[in-house]
Amino acid sequence: MQIEVKHRPAYALAVVRLDAGETIVGEAGALVSRDTHVQMETSAGSKDQGLVAGLFSGLKRMVAGESFFQNRYTATGKAGEVTFAPALVGDVTVHPLEGTMFLQSSAFLCAPPSVTIDPSWGGAKSFFSGNGFVLVKATGSGPIAFNAFGAIKPVEVDGAFLVDTGHVVAFEDSLKYSVSRIGGGWTTFLFGGEGLVCRFSGKGRVWLSTRNPSAFGELMGPLLPQRES
Amino acid sequence: MRADIRNRPDFASLHLVLSSGESVYTETGSMMGMDPKIKLESSLKGGFFAAAKRALMGESLVLNTYSATGEAQRLDLAPSQPGDVEAVELAGSTVVVQKGSFLAATPGVELDAKWAGAKGFLSGESMIMIRATGTGTLWMSSYGAIARVEVDGTYEVDTSHVVAFDESLTWNVTRAGGMKSLFLSQEGLVVRFSGRGRVWFQTRAAPNLASFLHPFRKLKPKSN
Repeated sequence: MQIEVKHRPAYALAVVRLDAGETIVGEAGALVSRDTHVQMETSAGSKDQGLVAGLFSGLKRMVAGESFFQNRYTATGKAGEVTFAPALVGDVTVHPLEGTMFLQSSAFLCAPPSVTIDPSWGGAKSFFSGNGFVLVKATGSGPIAFNAFGAIKPVEVDGAFLVDTGHVVAFEDSLKYSVSRIGGGWTTFLFGGEGLVCRFSGKGRVWLSTRNPSAFGELMGPLLPQRES
Repeated sequence: MRADIRNRPDFASLHLVLSSGESVYTETGSMMGMDPKIKLESSLKGGFFAAAKRALMGESLVLNTYSATGEAQRLDLAPSQPGDVEAVELAGSTVVVQKGSFLAATPGVELDAKWAGAKGFLSGESMIMIRATGTGTLWMSSYGAIARVEVDGTYEVDTSHVVAFDESLTWNVTRAGGMKSLFLSQEGLVVRFSGRGRVWFQTRAAPNLASFLHPFRKLKPKSN
């Protein structure tokens, strides 16, 4: 399997070339195109899970803000191509995962079945931070493609580093993290226009997005007609 | 005529230099800048019936024709969406363009609206296509980058990502995957191409941006 990212950075497209029999799992709604012998199958869990275990995996993902169902694409008979794109403008990064990493829940794009995506229970504070900061845990071995709103900038942390939660795309699990208010006291928190930050410590890589999707939504929302529901 | 596409791929625009007597016609609203000596004429391109058919399908009734009245007159065109612009040369062949991706064409290219069939219509996605046929240059635009695939066999593209394709391909609108996938996969309808020819698709789709923005809209106060 080979994942090539084209049209970077603004309009990135992940082009996945599968060998015969290979499978890639794609985020629901991200499919752009495919060879028709790359067959799509929708399921809650992975193929080797039973029904109950599969539904449970689906529920866990849904709680984490991911899709309940995942789409699996398998090249049948011969090699084939399938392409995926994020919903918003922005870049895609492919990381050769060996072990565990964390992703912002909307960041996952595609990965082989050897990588499992599970919600991460990062504690009530990060879960209920109100900033849409929900993480999923990716574990396994293989190339994982993730996307962000804007460009993606990797930062090698050695020591401590703060990132606004709306700009966190992904990070390696070698880093410890906690979610807190930015310094500057309550006045800054209430009126400073800065939200919550993710405080990283240790040694490892963090990927940042150069735009915050929620900030863009907050900018656009009031300019659009009111919604009924 | 000299044509070049600048600011690719993020914010592509089309820059034309027309010689005396040359003209192009464009989708309305795409003119960004022009030499004031260029003559503009808004017309029911293709005659009344062709225009009425376009109007029924949600396309502009009117196309604008820009004609040079002297040498080296400049016309700059911009699509409405952020993304790329691509030129396609037609030599008696036909290219089908998704409504919304048509930007401009030289006079030898004729346009005709085309239904995408009941499935496309019922999907709520605008599968209204424009047949561009004849001899000349066609310019089309995309939301995001434009990717081109040389199909030889069968290939599928999500309906909201289709920009254009050669009419030499047979195509039909269908759902991605099986029945279960229709309701659960969140993948919508796709266009299935077979045969030989080119397909152009865009790497972003406007409905996805609209869906993202929807929850940020303010709630309408409940009237009791």
